[in-house]
Amino acid sequence: MSEPAVEVKNLTKIFSPDLSKNHIVAVDNLSFEVAAGEVYGLIGPNGSGKSTTMKVVLGLMAASKGSAKVFGYDSGDIRARNETGFLPENPYFYKHLSGEETLKFYGKLCGLKGSELKDRIAELLKLVDLEGAAKRRLGGYSKGMLQRIGLAQTLIQNPRLVILDEPTAGVDPVGSRQIRDLILKLKEDGFTVFLCSHLLEQVQEVCDRVGIIFKGRMRREGTLDELIQIESQTAMTLENASPELMGKIHDLISSDAAAKMIEEGHPRTTLERLFIQIADQNKKEESA
Amino acid sequence: MNEPTTTLQSPAREVPVFSISRVWTLAISTLTQLVRMKTFYFLFAFAVLLLAVGNFNFASSPAQALSTVKKVSFGAMDLFAWLFAIVATALLIPRDIEDRTLYTILSKPVRRIEYLLGKLCGVLIVIGISLSVMFVVCAGMIQWKELGYIADEIGDTTPEQLTEDTRQAILLIQKNGFHPELAIAALASFMKAAVVASVTILLSTFASSSLFTIIVSVLVFLVGHAHTMATNFWLAETDNSIVTQTLLKLFKIIIPNFQIFSFSEGIVQGAAVAPSAIWQMGGLTGAYLVVFMLLSLLTFVDKEF
Ligand SMILES: Nc1ncnc2c1ncn2[C@@H]1O[C@H](COP(=O)(O)OP(=O)(O)O)[C@@H](O)[C@H]1O
Ligand SMILES: [Mg+2]
Repeated sequence: MSEPAVEVKNLTKIFSPDLSKNHIVAVDNLSFEVAAGEVYGLIGPNGSGKSTTMKVVLGLMAASKGSAKVFGYDSGDIRARNETGFLPENPYFYKHLSGEETLKFYGKLCGLKGSELKDRIAELLKLVDLEGAAKRRLGGYSKGMLQRIGLAQTLIQNPRLVILDEPTAGVDPVGSRQIRDLILKLKEDGFTVFLCSHLLEQVQEVCDRVGIIFKGRMRREGTLDELIQIESQTAMTLENASPELMGKIHDLISSDAAAKMIEEGHPRTTLERLFIQIADQNKKEESA
Repeated sequence: MNEPTTTLQSPAREVPVFSISRVWTLAISTLTQLVRMKTFYFLFAFAVLLLAVGNFNFASSPAQALSTVKKVSFGAMDLFAWLFAIVATALLIPRDIEDRTLYTILSKPVRRIEYLLGKLCGVLIVIGISLSVMFVVCAGMIQWKELGYIADEIGDTTPEQLTEDTRQAILLIQKNGFHPELAIAALASFMKAAVVASVTILLSTFASSSLFTIIVSVLVFLVGHAHTMATNFWLAETDNSIVTQTLLKLFKIIIPNFQIFSFSEGIVQGAAVAPSAIWQMGGLTGAYLVVFMLLSLLTFVDKEF
């Protein structure tokens, strides 16, 4: 299991929509690895190049420079896709098909048939809790149900790697909790999950390792613990603190020569704080 | 939802380099899509048209009436086939791209040529089924009319009492009635539709809108009937320069020659078919399909979504 599930090396993707003028560097010299069996989250704001990276990994797009590999196969190799399940951003499937027919269609494309396919469909419908809606057409599914049938579809051929592009975007809290549980279940079963999101809370809940991407460039990467720990800082969360108490605390801090109040306010998820910090840094770099 | 006992993981299966069954899956999915879009309803329209022409045409003689029924119904079949081939093909592929269904299809172990072939086959299956149904309905109608007219001619005379005039009239009716060769006219419509569908697929691999694809495909189809004319026109020009020669050759290469299907009009009018015309049609249809699908693949294989 030493071979990485995904290996992206110096990947650059440049779009030139109106021929030669106005290049858009969507991904800029990006390198990272997703180890087999881990849940890796790529996070970054909209337009930072997450979807583009995933499409290159899947071979839906060609890299301008650099390379992407899946279990050692070049992206675009049909064998790489055989090992990969992909759930695109806001997926739409054929609305005229029922949930069951959708899974059957994708299963057949992966070479499954007969009772094996039938069993697999039943198993996956159960996994994503859509047994009751199996015969209904997707045209009548809610966003959360679509996302779950989409997730079932990614798993149909038993791929080792699952790539999820914003799996919980636009899904209500209950629905996204269901999807989060599913991702945890996948991890438990030994799948490698590579997901991207701009919703930090969920990334924090499921990912082993996180990469933070801005404007196509990797800004920080590491395990969650590594990323969100700041040794030199101490956070304090108070309940029912009166203005008088806060005043005393401020006085105490200003009387200390070394200590400095960095932030005060209502608590946030730590990853979100890091994210915003990097965004600020990014802004400063730009204005400089 | 969590059941730690079942494990979803298992080793990967082998992937064939090219798989007919994947093409078939995609073709059947296209067929399902078109069926659920209620495309087959137009068959009722065809039946109504046929009944109207069969019962309310004011032809001067039975033979002429039969000839009109044949012309109208085979004309309608032909029009349906090529128009449907263009519109369905031009709408389906861009729709897959827009709805991002293509992402999920192409991220499975599916080759791009398999996707294109699947779409082509799906559209052609719908056309094939429709043409067969229309042909059977139309053949039944013609034969029923034909027998009715003959019965009217004979009246209550016995075969020995038939006058020479009546015999001639019956022969004329039979000549304009049903012939098994009419199936070849339907086949010609099918092959024509196949060629025009492959042209449409090529256009939709790089065109940005369905409307553009439809318009250009219709133009190619119409211009494709002018091969003889084009040849004559350019040959008649006094200036037979390299430029005109090249243009002429380019036209002959790029635009498929839809005149290879024209002999079917003769069949409908009761003319005999030369077997060579059928072979020529089959061979050229196959060649056009191969060329246009390969060209489509050339642009589609590097397409980014
Ligand atoms: N097909 C395309 N043509 C031109 N520009 C594109 C295309 N796809 C993405 N981009 C641009 O690349 C950048 C990254 O997009 P994307 O990868 O979708 O970001 P994310 O998924 O992180 O929101 C954006 O600026 C976007 O406008
Ligand atoms: Mg995106």
